Amino acid sequence: MSNLRGKFAIIGTGEVPTGRFPEKAAIHHAIESARRAIVDAGIKKEDIDFVMPTAALYSPQFNTELVTCRIIEELGLKNARTNCQIFAGGSSGSCFLKLGGSLIVSGVAQCVLCVHADRLGTGVTAQGGIDLFSTAGISPEWEVPFGQHYSSIAALATTRYQYETGCTDEELAAVCVSNRKWAELNPNARFRTPLTIEEVLSSKMLSTPLRAKESNMLFDGGSALILTSADRAKDLCQKPVYFLGEGSRVTHFVFSQEPDITRYGWREAAKDAFTEAELTPQDIDVAEIYDSYPIYQVIGFEEVGFCERGEAGAMHLRGDTWPGGKIPTTTNGGMLSQGHTGAGGGVALLVEAARQLMGKAGDRQVPGARFALETGTGGTYMDAHVSILGSEIP
Amino acid sequence: MENPNKPTPVVNEWARPFWEGTRQHKLLIQQCKECGAYIFYPRMCCPECFSQDIAWVESSGRGTLYSFTIVENNPPSAFLQDLPYVVAIVKLEEGVQMLTNIVDWQSTTLRCDMPVVVTFEKLNEEFTLPKFRPV
Repeated sequence: MSNLRGKFAIIGTGEVPTGRFPEKAAIHHAIESARRAIVDAGIKKEDIDFVMPTAALYSPQFNTELVTCRIIEELGLKNARTNCQIFAGGSSGSCFLKLGGSLIVSGVAQCVLCVHADRLGTGVTAQGGIDLFSTAGISPEWEVPFGQHYSSIAALATTRYQYETGCTDEELAAVCVSNRKWAELNPNARFRTPLTIEEVLSSKMLSTPLRAKESNMLFDGGSALILTSADRAKDLCQKPVYFLGEGSRVTHFVFSQEPDITRYGWREAAKDAFTEAELTPQDIDVAEIYDSYPIYQVIGFEEVGFCERGEAGAMHLRGDTWPGGKIPTTTNGGMLSQGHTGAGGGVALLVEAARQLMGKAGDRQVPGARFALETGTGGTYMDAHVSILGSEIP
Repeated sequence: MENPNKPTPVVNEWARPFWEGTRQHKLLIQQCKECGAYIFYPRMCCPECFSQDIAWVESSGRGTLYSFTIVENNPPSAFLQDLPYVVAIVKLEEGVQMLTNIVDWQSTTLRCDMPVVVTFEKLNEEFTLPKFRPV
């Protein structure tokens, strides 16, 4: 919970398509995403005074360029006074919001450019990606020696969740189908052809009960957003997206130390966010739930309060989360269908939340969306971040 | 099954007694002498009460299967030859949790909360890993 409610806003977003682009350098995705965000906001590039890149994982060299002000020089951001990297894995988007907003409200910054770009689709091999993610954030003393990796982590959570709730394989597969229905409408998504429950359930078993089509895939991509004060936003932008509330919890570093791998800290984080926003889950028009695997979308969806525990799978199966459903969920297709770009998976969800509230979501537009909820989690689901945004301040 | 390519634990020096213990087929965990909390993985100070007065004690080695997965495809490359293998979180009788592998599982139907007991598997001359098998 913060005291930032209604005090700052997102005024522009930019995104490049997610996919495999061997001919494009990672910096291309950063520059193009940032350029599109500045154009979308309708501001001059000279208005940006603080640049906040998040980290890239595919190359230490490229990450160092992000740290050492390359974006400012490439774009000619002549009034940028500070470049400072903010990184919390998949929670980086949520942290952009609360940290960028704090700098604006405190007066340290006037206009913050938050940007992500990475090249995990063509910058590393498929096995290299698995090996990278069998060590990144996984304890080299207590888990790596046992063959732990991100699929086995998601599978451990799924096994226990199904044991406790009775959620079926079919209901988990329905999360992939639901997200794909949104991705079919998203020109920046990597996977846009229809997907069926049967296709998900007949795909290769990775780690029981997790199947290949229930796993995110790593791609190249980039996204960016511009933050400024609510007062300036009203002058600059027809439809600013106001920050209304946030909450977060940290519950582990080593995955096997998590006290409850079927809940994490979502409930408490969401309670703080809704209290600050002065809203309830029933007020939310669009839910951007972090979905690197179906189990996390299911757990996040119910723990933040959209339904009772154990009901989320059935809601995804019967269409409540689909286009036209009661609670449109993960409307860019998520990491499962738009594609996972590292820290950018969460940034993309935040960008999508803002686009929906600005009325710029194209064929995916949720009619009249006023309030959106966004979640982010990093590492091995070490933390739970919930942010609430609105096209108005209630 | 010694394998030079397997990742070996990257040991923090305060955890050395744990790895010395597994070499002798003992499962050592920590206990805070001030608040009594059992602690795993090994810490420099008690995560409950912040005390530095921590003792090593031998676990009963008995616990239950909090969760598990049978890894069938796409593991880290060093584990390709082990497929299928079981990754599990075990909750020890003392209340602490640890990641491990389940061995001798093929003739059993694994299920959450089933009882398991520790066994030890030599990785190389320096390291022996604590693993568990169904009771």
